Amino acid sequence: MKNISLILLCMLIAFFGFTFFCYAEKIVVEGSTTVLPIAQKAAEVFMERNSGADIIVRGGGSGVGIASLLDGTCDIADSSRPIKDTELDKAVSRGKDIKAHVVAMDGIAVIVHPGNKINAMTKKQLKDIFTGKISNWSQLGGNNEKIVVVSRDTSSGTFEAFGELALNKEKVRPDAIMQASNQAVATTVSRTPAAIGYVGLGFLSSSVKALEIDGVVASKETVLSGSYSIGRPLFMYTNGTPNEIAKEFIDFIKSEEGQALAEGEGYVGLK
Amino acid sequence: MVQKSLKLILLAAFVLVAGIKFSYAGEVDILLQKLVEKGVLTAGEAQEIKVETQEEVKKEIAQGKSASLPKWVQNTKLKGDFRLRYQDNHDKGAETDRDRARFRLRLGLESKVNEQLLVAFGIASGKTGDPRSTNQSFQDSFDKKPVIIDYAYATYTPFSWATLIGGKMKNPCWEPGDLVWDTDITPEGGAVVLTTKFNDKLDLFLTTGIFLIDETSSTGNDPLIGVIQPGFNYKVTDSIALKGAFSFYDSNNIKNNAIEYGGGTNTKKSGSSTLYAYEYNAIFPAFEISVTEPLKGLNLGMFDVPYACVFGEYVLNSLVEDNNSGYMLGGKIGYQKIEGWGQWQLRYNFARLEKDAVPDFLPDSDRYGGKTNIRGHEIMFDFGLAKNTWLGLDIYRVQSLSDPRQPETLVQVDWNLKF
Repeated sequence: MKNISLILLCMLIAFFGFTFFCYAEKIVVEGSTTVLPIAQKAAEVFMERNSGADIIVRGGGSGVGIASLLDGTCDIADSSRPIKDTELDKAVSRGKDIKAHVVAMDGIAVIVHPGNKINAMTKKQLKDIFTGKISNWSQLGGNNEKIVVVSRDTSSGTFEAFGELALNKEKVRPDAIMQASNQAVATTVSRTPAAIGYVGLGFLSSSVKALEIDGVVASKETVLSGSYSIGRPLFMYTNGTPNEIAKEFIDFIKSEEGQALAEGEGYVGLK
Repeated sequence: MVQKSLKLILLAAFVLVAGIKFSYAGEVDILLQKLVEKGVLTAGEAQEIKVETQEEVKKEIAQGKSASLPKWVQNTKLKGDFRLRYQDNHDKGAETDRDRARFRLRLGLESKVNEQLLVAFGIASGKTGDPRSTNQSFQDSFDKKPVIIDYAYATYTPFSWATLIGGKMKNPCWEPGDLVWDTDITPEGGAVVLTTKFNDKLDLFLTTGIFLIDETSSTGNDPLIGVIQPGFNYKVTDSIALKGAFSFYDSNNIKNNAIEYGGGTNTKKSGSSTLYAYEYNAIFPAFEISVTEPLKGLNLGMFDVPYACVFGEYVLNSLVEDNNSGYMLGGKIGYQKIEGWGQWQLRYNFARLEKDAVPDFLPDSDRYGGKTNIRGHEIMFDFGLAKNTWLGLDIYRVQSLSDPRQPETLVQVDWNLKF
């Protein structure tokens, strides 16, 4: 009986201990790896200014973030795509009042190895490559090499957005190499001469080459004007009106300073 | 300030316009474009207003659809599963094999009482007198079969990180295999489950519970088990995760009590065939390492393996000097969840469980009849037939530690359906 009393005491201590621990002004931000750099940079600056705030930021993909928001295991869901109807229906069935906050814009850049002769293609050619109808660079005037298609995995908002904006929701060819993050796609393309992939604007670097699509290169101006056709808004979703710290954090990201941080990370600011 | 007010008015106007006639979306775009051209809004602000308005309208449409359903339907979830099984027991000591055709039906309901309270109950096939099974054999001249209450409990979630459970519940303790707990057991009592995210890679959890085994009106010494299980989920990399827990179990009044439905292998008090000789004060560490796409770099195409894991458990009853420990080691490869045609999973484990390591009314009842004092192998294969339905093959080869000449082979072929 003594040990059972000990267990009961441990339960009480644990409960109150967790109460103290969890009641620190902590928020969890989870989801899109595209939005992740913005969230991380903004969290860093925000926590420097607000010593009582504790912001945990992690990736996992847009789908993972929204699922966590619906489960109540995160406060802010990062997403590089709009919430799906099925997710909204789930939210409504659980009594969640999901609120969308647009925090930046992004272009999905189509990238190849810097040594690839190809500099531009049409959107139809892009679709045909990713759906398997074009399999060799020679069909586009390039080298006689089998195209290595690199895609994001299915939990990714970038994958969803690319599928909708570039592929008309057709399926990516089954032998495509699936990667879990934008950085992984960029790394694979930079190391594979015959590869083609797609990443958020913020993940462009000198180790890959961005292609013109229908004569337009992804940039701030072309994304905001809509002339670059593979552009999209980046979201932070909350459950109803966010709590105080979360609201202040989102307001900070949407401020001039926050948008400058987003642009510094390679995204398209709204200001 | 004037500009901010103007933007708010514009936002309200756009919500109204978009809500009344979504087909006017093109006209909203034209208006926003004009405001950008005139310098009232930046291009970015126009995009922000347009997209947030669209999202708000989408949400209102979803809420409108839901409002047409009765509230109790909105607050209630129903789910279940059905399984058909062929089972063959080959016991080396027996003259013939025992073949059985069986089914299992489970139906569960979960309903929200309010934002913090929830009630759940489940009914199942099976019969009373077997807490470690919900299977029903085809027998007794087509007699109608009983329905049992599998679980019935309430949960109170005062904070997102704390859940209190009371009733006959689904087992709140985590275990990667089934060395200690049969997966059909629904313990009775109270439990507290606490979870928190420590940082972006580490989640912590703590489960505590007191489970009442029986009520003995004659003596008042009701047997029970208490448990504390601290654990963690650690994301080592994007594709590697480690889960672990260190449990502490403590029993009361099992010693000198007769507990029903045991396997008959725990040591009994001298001169008695029913009264248990020992209490159980056990430590129970367990771990699971999982990897997504472990063979990614090999480009195996359709032969790729999306998921793999290895796991282990160890249990030690410190109140007994000999025959007091057990362990299980195993692994899985294939798809983490079977969700459609062609998806598969292969699992294997080896278990050894000494006589008095755990109470003999807890372990997996398919492994040598749920007894302790055993060692043996289990191999399982699941294959997806379509969404929510799959075939399963499960083979046990287990022997007694005291008499290894009498091994038992159990083969189960299942057709599973989930709804």
